[in-house]
Amino acid sequence: MLEVNYLDWNNALGILGKAYQTGLFALIIGPKGTGKTTLVRKFASQMKKELYSVNFSLRTRESHLIGTKTLDNGEISFVEGILVKSMRDASMLYLDELNAAEADVLLRLDEALDDRRQLVLKEAEGQIVNASSDWFVIATINPLSHVGTKELPPQLLSRFPIRLRLDYPPEETELQIINQHTEIDSSKIDDVKRAIKLAKVLREAAALEELYYSPSLRETIAFAKLLNTGIMSKQAAEIVYANVYDQWGEVEYRKVMDMITSIFGD
Amino acid sequence: MIMRNDVLLEIATFLARRWSGNSKIVIVLSQDTAPISKPDKNQIIVPLINYYPGNDFQKYRQWRVALWYESMRMLYSTKVLSYDHAFGLLLNTIETKRLEILGLREWEGMIKEIIFNESISWLSRPLLNSLYGRHKVVEAFSQYFLTGYLKGELFGSEFDRVKKASDFANQLIEEAIKGGEGTNLIERHIPRLIKILEMDPLTSIPIIAPKTRSGMSLNQSDLLKQIEKAVTTRQKHDDIDKATKNVVEGNDVLREFETLLMESTKTENKGYESLENLGLSIPERMDLDETRIYDIDLIQKIKAAFRDWRTGWIERHDKTGEEFDPESYTEALPKPFLTDFKLSIKTKVAILLDHSSSIEDAELEYKQATIALCEALHYLGIKFAVYAFNTEARKVKCWIVKPPNVKWSVISARRLVQIGASGGTPLAEIYGLLIPVAKSFKPDIMVTLTDGEPSDFEAVREMVLSYRKMGIKMVALGVGRNLNDSVGIAHNLKYLNYEKTLAVSRLQDMPKKVINLLRA
Repeated sequence: MLEVNYLDWNNALGILGKAYQTGLFALIIGPKGTGKTTLVRKFASQMKKELYSVNFSLRTRESHLIGTKTLDNGEISFVEGILVKSMRDASMLYLDELNAAEADVLLRLDEALDDRRQLVLKEAEGQIVNASSDWFVIATINPLSHVGTKELPPQLLSRFPIRLRLDYPPEETELQIINQHTEIDSSKIDDVKRAIKLAKVLREAAALEELYYSPSLRETIAFAKLLNTGIMSKQAAEIVYANVYDQWGEVEYRKVMDMITSIFGD
Repeated sequence: MIMRNDVLLEIATFLARRWSGNSKIVIVLSQDTAPISKPDKNQIIVPLINYYPGNDFQKYRQWRVALWYESMRMLYSTKVLSYDHAFGLLLNTIETKRLEILGLREWEGMIKEIIFNESISWLSRPLLNSLYGRHKVVEAFSQYFLTGYLKGELFGSEFDRVKKASDFANQLIEEAIKGGEGTNLIERHIPRLIKILEMDPLTSIPIIAPKTRSGMSLNQSDLLKQIEKAVTTRQKHDDIDKATKNVVEGNDVLREFETLLMESTKTENKGYESLENLGLSIPERMDLDETRIYDIDLIQKIKAAFRDWRTGWIERHDKTGEEFDPESYTEALPKPFLTDFKLSIKTKVAILLDHSSSIEDAELEYKQATIALCEALHYLGIKFAVYAFNTEARKVKCWIVKPPNVKWSVISARRLVQIGASGGTPLAEIYGLLIPVAKSFKPDIMVTLTDGEPSDFEAVREMVLSYRKMGIKMVALGVGRNLNDSVGIAHNLKYLNYEKTLAVSRLQDMPKKVINLLRA
């Protein structure tokens, strides 16, 4: 199994461990780019469980979860979807961005997640699938302000009684996380700290809808990587952080550039 | 060229909130007042850029630095006193240096602009020889303490006092920063400072705007010399010439300034000499707090409701189709069960808000709903204009809250906040006033939000018809206190020749109703 790089700064792994022990499914809530997926991957590798993941979007269909009938050598057979497979294999099921899914998809999911942990496959002659006893499910949702997100129906929310909030980490932690992804030269450490500060400022503005986009951890990591290639800090900040705002007009871009100028200087 | 106030206000609000990390800050633009902060009210008052000397760009640079200082004051100071007596001036001056040191730790890039500001404002500082009386020592202290040098001469013991006071103040700052102390520590020691300077704490200090100060004619070569001096004192640079050139040019801020100027050229009156001639008015007060009519929750909910619309594509689920049978499926041609169609948001909308006295008891909610609607329309990129009417001093007024060609911003919200609910519902008259606007803007839809019956039915009927003849879809939205009430209003409105009448009893539903109208 691939080694997963995750810095557990708010003891999320510990809580997921307790959830697993008690067989209670977990829901992680947080904005994009806060390391939700990495956390789940880390947890699965720690528990030595196979991880099945579904990334939900408007396009995710029931058949992705349940399965479809196929025609093979003139015979119709049923190919199980990821939900059914994970129930049988006692693996870990990761439902990413669950609140981007359509209502009918959620309905089928709800059936499997309730206390009976059971699914009736109307697609396959009413077969009943019972989940293995250590089947475990983790879902993540983005806050409602994110593109394409919907409110999760309350009955589905109640299937995940363990709820974790994963926000952007404190500045020092963010620095450590970046350090795990790319080696930061000691002469560049101050520049990376400035970039973290900049990201924090922009995230605050985006949370209040003063800006349209909120930079994630990926951006600060990208910034550090760019610095390592020899690009000057201010230019790297412009490339990674500012340019994207140009799509909302020159003034928006200039606002972010002003922040960069105020933080970085020359 | 002049920077328009709304453009200035927008950038000031953004910068001050981000620099200070305080998202509640309200910026007040004031004609000729020195910048001052009110930490207890979350308010920063800044002058318009013409307050400062120099060319337009130099003015903007000084204005921006002043805003930065005030933002830092909001962040690090707990008390700001008036500058017009010695005690307050001394406290604020020491605080300025303390927060500059603290601020530069976070906002290192500000140093060039601070140097520029220090140099240009040095030129407008009074010559000490020209000052008489007790405030001469205060001015000398402020000069020496903030920059390390003096303009003009001091005599005998005066300099000793200033030097001693300055050393004491520097020590005080060091102590405060080391010990994590703030304004209180500084304030406790001001009496001692006053004693050193041998002053009276209540000595009044005349405040004069920099550009009107005596002997002030900005000489660019003097400025250059001063910048060079400041660069040498402040920065340990190897290449002083290059550093000086950088400060003089201020390229980073220059591009921002140019962008803001461009934004300011988008004018409001479209070639009309004066909107007053057309009978329209613009609410002018700029010292208002619009945050109370901002209901962030409501705004986010509405934006979330129309999010798919913003991307331009929406999924449509078809309910028709044959029962799925795998065998026939493999034989027959595949039938799509899902189609995407492009939403177009080219509809232009004009919104007219009734501000007659009957909405008085729900005024705040009404305004909040309107703001949420405008925020959502802005978010969706729809071209829209907002007008409102009320009666002031027995005169019917039609207000321009947001003209079609100006971007929605806090300034429009500030306009709305100052329109009070009063008077009757003279709809026909208002429609009459808005005809030139309707002809130039040519909205596709005009939505009138009203809570009662118009004063003159017959006239409204005619007006609505004449608007419809211009190709404008006329819609009326009845805003009632409860379901019965609003249905009643909508029912009455039906007889006024509107193409569509709707009713809304919960104000929070109003934005969605209006936006859905555009979708149809």
